[in-house]
Amino acid sequence: MAQNIAVKVDDLTVAYNYKPVLWDIDLEIPEGVLMAIVGPNGAGKSTLIKSILGILPPIAGSVTIYGKPYKKQRSLVAYVPQKGSVDWDFPTTALDVVMMGTYGSLGWIKRPRQKEKKAALEALEKVGMLAFKSRQISQLSGGQQQRIFLARALVQNASIYFMDEPFQGVDATTEIAIINILKELRKAGKTVIVVHHDLQTVPEYFDWVTFLNVKKIATGPVKDIFNDDNLTKTYGINYKVSIQE
Amino acid sequence: MNSAQIEIQLIASLVAIACAIPGTFLVLRKMAMISDAISHAILPGLVVGFFITQDLNSPLLILLAALTGLITVILVEQIQKTGLVKEDTAIGLVFPALFSIGVLLISKNANDVHLDIDAVLLGELAFAPFDRLFIGGTDVGPKSLWVIGTILTITIGLLIAFFKELKVSTFDAGLSASLGFSPVVIHYGLMSVASVTTVGAFDAVGAILVVALMIAPAATAYLLTTDLKRMLLLSIFFGLFSAIAGYWMAHALDASIAGSITTILGLLFLMVYLFAPSNGIIAVLYKEKQQRIEVSLLTFLLHLKNHSEKRERHVNHLREHINWQKVRAKTVLELALKNNMIVINNDIVSLTKKGDKFTTQAIDYIITNEDAQIEGMKDDFFLFRG
Repeated sequence: MAQNIAVKVDDLTVAYNYKPVLWDIDLEIPEGVLMAIVGPNGAGKSTLIKSILGILPPIAGSVTIYGKPYKKQRSLVAYVPQKGSVDWDFPTTALDVVMMGTYGSLGWIKRPRQKEKKAALEALEKVGMLAFKSRQISQLSGGQQQRIFLARALVQNASIYFMDEPFQGVDATTEIAIINILKELRKAGKTVIVVHHDLQTVPEYFDWVTFLNVKKIATGPVKDIFNDDNLTKTYGINYKVSIQE
Repeated sequence: MNSAQIEIQLIASLVAIACAIPGTFLVLRKMAMISDAISHAILPGLVVGFFITQDLNSPLLILLAALTGLITVILVEQIQKTGLVKEDTAIGLVFPALFSIGVLLISKNANDVHLDIDAVLLGELAFAPFDRLFIGGTDVGPKSLWVIGTILTITIGLLIAFFKELKVSTFDAGLSASLGFSPVVIHYGLMSVASVTTVGAFDAVGAILVVALMIAPAATAYLLTTDLKRMLLLSIFFGLFSAIAGYWMAHALDASIAGSITTILGLLFLMVYLFAPSNGIIAVLYKEKQQRIEVSLLTFLLHLKNHSEKRERHVNHLREHINWQKVRAKTVLELALKNNMIVINNDIVSLTKKGDKFTTQAIDYIITNEDAQIEGMKDDFFLFRG
């Protein structure tokens, strides 16, 4: 797998109120991997994604997407925030939320038109939510809301997808539906980076993994580095989640 | 109606619309109280601006005062950022401090001018037509009408241009940032509009009514719709309605116009809160009662479906088997009979074909939560209306 580097992080340090939450992270994510970022609570997993996307400014270090700063590569990147980060009582429909994914390519002031609507409907269909397009978003279940978020990222038609805990609070059916879509994305040559909590499913879902706990512990193919040693280093206690073949 | 009356209503209406637009976004961003902070904290800006310009309607004064509004927002955010106090506390610290500076400045230096504390708090819409704008010696109308008209035009222009940006950054700041629509820029843009509008409306309606006009129409509209555009239109409508109705109420009672408009706003909210078709208190209570009965009905039907033995289906035993009080059991039994879902033979209850089908479908629906299968039942039963 000799391939391009999709995301390159150099010496990244991020702090909240002068307390570093990410310390001197170096990371190279190759194109076309489906990567999990794992680590305990407070390890800085979401922070890493947010600072790669320029949402949180780092105090040191740099990030490049295919060799250029994020600001120049926005159109290549789609982001799925944590479901809990938005107010689901906001007065809008499922279709409208998905349409928001098209705003980036439109730029300031220009409004979405038929073309954008069509793309949004297609994305809704892909995640099996077309029947709910006119639903007010608070009337959707947790799993359906997550699918809407996924559709919103799909509509961006990006090369790199960042997802912050897409499996949080979803049922097994939705989890499988989501992972199948992620695997399809990888098959299409996209790079997918997922903050993930369930260590049991890492080997089954992902082919690449990064262990993170304020510092980077390890990064690489799941088959090479997903082992008790790295888990113990990351989680601090003697972890025994051996890979189930 | 004489021309002064028309002018007052026109000013009140434009102020109401100009407030309803930023107000809608403040409500959705859970920042309603920031409008209170801005409306009070602009006072020192107004006073200083007045010393410089000697004209309450000068654009420079409006900009200076609006700047104080922005400073308020920044101060609140900085205090909150220290993590030592929460946002509401920070608001409570900042605006009285700034407001009191304004009060001191007025009482020391401006006793003899139109700027007094009463006018600041409640405004005096009735006097607005007296301050006229002359262009080349021609009377073109009250100054405050031109001021608020200009502000409203700019606000509407900005709203139409940046509607999508406002929507995405209000709903999901993280996505907005990642797409390149800086939430910080949009936030301060909105705050600037809110500040300028507050200053423009302030002279006419005072600090308290400005808050009411920003928050109450939006809060009322929020109860009635699940669409942002419709919420904006409804806010505007409620603002407009209160402005006109409030004026005539004041006229009839010979009372303060500002006070009357605020009263109407409060009453409107109360009415919608009580009687809104889907979210109103009465509708919710009614729906809950219906749902209770329907869930009982379903429980009852399911019981019949699951038990073929006669003793489980005897009218008199039902009560003890499913543990209901007499009234509830009777209501449910009657509802089931009325809908031809059961038949009673010699005091033994059995499901009809319709009842059996209904039970199966209803259980399916509850488990799968899918609409298509149950479309026909929606009209008969609240439970399935979502």
